[in-house]
Amino acid sequence: MRFSWRDTLMSYAFLAPALLLLLAFTFYPLAYGTYLGFTEYTGARFAQGLGPKWIGLENFRTLLADPLFLTSLGNSVKYLLVVPALQLASLAVAVLVSRELPGIALFRAAYYVPVVTSISLAAVMWEWVYNREGTLNWALSALHLLPRGEAFGWLNNEATAFFAVMLVTFWRGFGYYMVLYLAGLQNIPAELEEAARLDGATPWQRFWRVTVPLMKPTILLCTLLSTIAALRVLEEVLVLTGGGPLNSTYTALMYVYAKAFQGFNFDYGLASAAGLVVALVALGLALVNFRLFHEAEGGDA
Amino acid sequence: MKNLRLLALGLALAAGPLAGTAAAQQPVELQLWTWYLSPKFDTYIKDTLAAFEKANPGIKVRWFDKQDSLVQDFIASVNLGNAPDVVNLNIDETQKAAQNGFLRAVSDLSSPATLNATYYPQSVRNFTSGGKVYAYPWYGWLNEGVLLYNPDLLKKAGLTRAPRSLSEMLSYAKTIKDKTGAYGWVPALKDPNTASFLGYFYSEGLPIYDAGGKAAFNSPAHAALLGQYVNLYKGGYIPEDAVRREAFQIATELYAQNRVAMIVGGPQALTRIKDTNPTLYGKTVVTEAPLGKAGVQTGGSMSLVIPAASKHPREAAKLAAFLSNNANQLAFAKVVPIVPTTRAAQTAALFKQSGSDPVQRATALVGASGRFINPGYKAPGNSDDLYKNFNDNIEAAVLGKKTPQQALNDAAAYWNANMKK
Repeated sequence: MRFSWRDTLMSYAFLAPALLLLLAFTFYPLAYGTYLGFTEYTGARFAQGLGPKWIGLENFRTLLADPLFLTSLGNSVKYLLVVPALQLASLAVAVLVSRELPGIALFRAAYYVPVVTSISLAAVMWEWVYNREGTLNWALSALHLLPRGEAFGWLNNEATAFFAVMLVTFWRGFGYYMVLYLAGLQNIPAELEEAARLDGATPWQRFWRVTVPLMKPTILLCTLLSTIAALRVLEEVLVLTGGGPLNSTYTALMYVYAKAFQGFNFDYGLASAAGLVVALVALGLALVNFRLFHEAEGGDA
Repeated sequence: MKNLRLLALGLALAAGPLAGTAAAQQPVELQLWTWYLSPKFDTYIKDTLAAFEKANPGIKVRWFDKQDSLVQDFIASVNLGNAPDVVNLNIDETQKAAQNGFLRAVSDLSSPATLNATYYPQSVRNFTSGGKVYAYPWYGWLNEGVLLYNPDLLKKAGLTRAPRSLSEMLSYAKTIKDKTGAYGWVPALKDPNTASFLGYFYSEGLPIYDAGGKAAFNSPAHAALLGQYVNLYKGGYIPEDAVRREAFQIATELYAQNRVAMIVGGPQALTRIKDTNPTLYGKTVVTEAPLGKAGVQTGGSMSLVIPAASKHPREAAKLAAFLSNNANQLAFAKVVPIVPTTRAAQTAALFKQSGSDPVQRATALVGASGRFINPGYKAPGNSDDLYKNFNDNIEAAVLGKKTPQQALNDAAAYWNANMKK
């Protein structure tokens, strides 16, 4: 089909406002940030009124030589463990609450509450849970799973702090992905489910053989979003542990944040370079994600 | 036509001088940024600014109170070309700003002799970088200003008097925990954004830097001192949150719940206890804080700095000097228990009265001791990275990952490799 000049022009005219906003607030900062990653741009240069100075790959060399950055990147990648658990759980619960039972709306809303809870408020609550004298230790000792004398602060222990923070991410993201899956479930024709039921499939089989394959596009989307979010996790860590103990929860974005916002000592060049490394890792994982789901789809067909 | 032109010329000539005088009379407008003072101290600041404007008819002041984002806003405003004229920073931030070239030296604006005559010499030194003074010292505080304790807990532990030295403090912490179950005290092992443990070295008279300015906090004596705190932590005598959160926050929280017996700090701790547990506040005993071998205190103060990007540095200097002068700091001390950094405050009548109210007693005890305000260590160049590394090493020692000696060796090596001039 061919469009007249008039139509083409008209279409672009309609697109223009959004495009301009994208250019100004997304592409320009992205390009500039990428550029900064290859420059020296510190507080000292800035104060003298000097702009960024091109230094090639110097920042990346500094990053690779900094054990703190390598630790932080490792932690961020390890944080991806939360993704499969989060996706599976929210999909399963979405299936459970998609039935039309009386009062089900209340459940859906309840699961969504953490998504709209401010993180600083949530931090206070989780602090009570994880504290040495907190509810988690209390529950465990009431169940005789943890002797009273061995109670410890879950956020102060190198072995547990990481997973404790991860659970908060899980708790915060759960409702969000559940709602996305709920929307996806609406698109599965009820006949398929019925047919499977008539063929004598158990609920377990129906979930794995009918729901999951048909939900693949939604699962791909959610996994992707969740992967990127996990790589960029920052707030939970900042408010709960500040990266400790012994940097076991120090994530890559915390490194970026620290370099960019350490007051007058800021180093925008190094921060941008670190941000670029995280973006590259995210891009690589996104490709893996697509590949995995694509192959799985091909195999099914 | 010709007439018209003449008229225009005449008008222009007439207007010229008029415009000139208008410009001369137009008041200079200064921007003052403070940190976390509004709304609690609105009246004090507004009254003081009104007095300044009255004494300086050519100058108008626009006051903004900034909170967490002060430094970020400052940097952004420099970029946008509308930098403030007077900004309230602390010692560390002033040093950082001066090291990176954000500030105008105030010793170029006010005579060094006046600065030294007005403020305590140490307060001026706190803001000196590379031989120049970069701030007018403003209100301060002492970290070991006073010792406040819960007499019931001390009695229960069988202790009859307050501890008199830091080493006694350490043994008290053990006794109190063993006998009562409450913590004795929460030392500042690794407060965020500082290298707070360096303060304990300073208190014991141990050096932080050598004569050449290199980090020298890793002698066996340093390690032995750190070792005492590590043992205390390992024995469960220090709340384990002390490696994760600011000690002062934990101490005030737990004290109000009768779970910490003693707090070393300024009167501001009392204000919080007064709000959360009035009964305990009434019982609390305030006395002089125990000191280390060196007999020195640590403390900090706020500063008023003039950004290099300020368009009216002379007027700004006038305002900063006015806000931080003795009379105005004393007036501030009447509103809230701060420690003035002006020499004349030593003899102020305000700090001679003593009453039975704990806050009043604490204020009287510390108000005239501004000469002790000293963080105990000078902020090194690149302080953020260095402090983080130092605190990581302290944490590694406390959690048993490194020996105290190893931790301090590692930190000193990192400092000497990464310190910027």
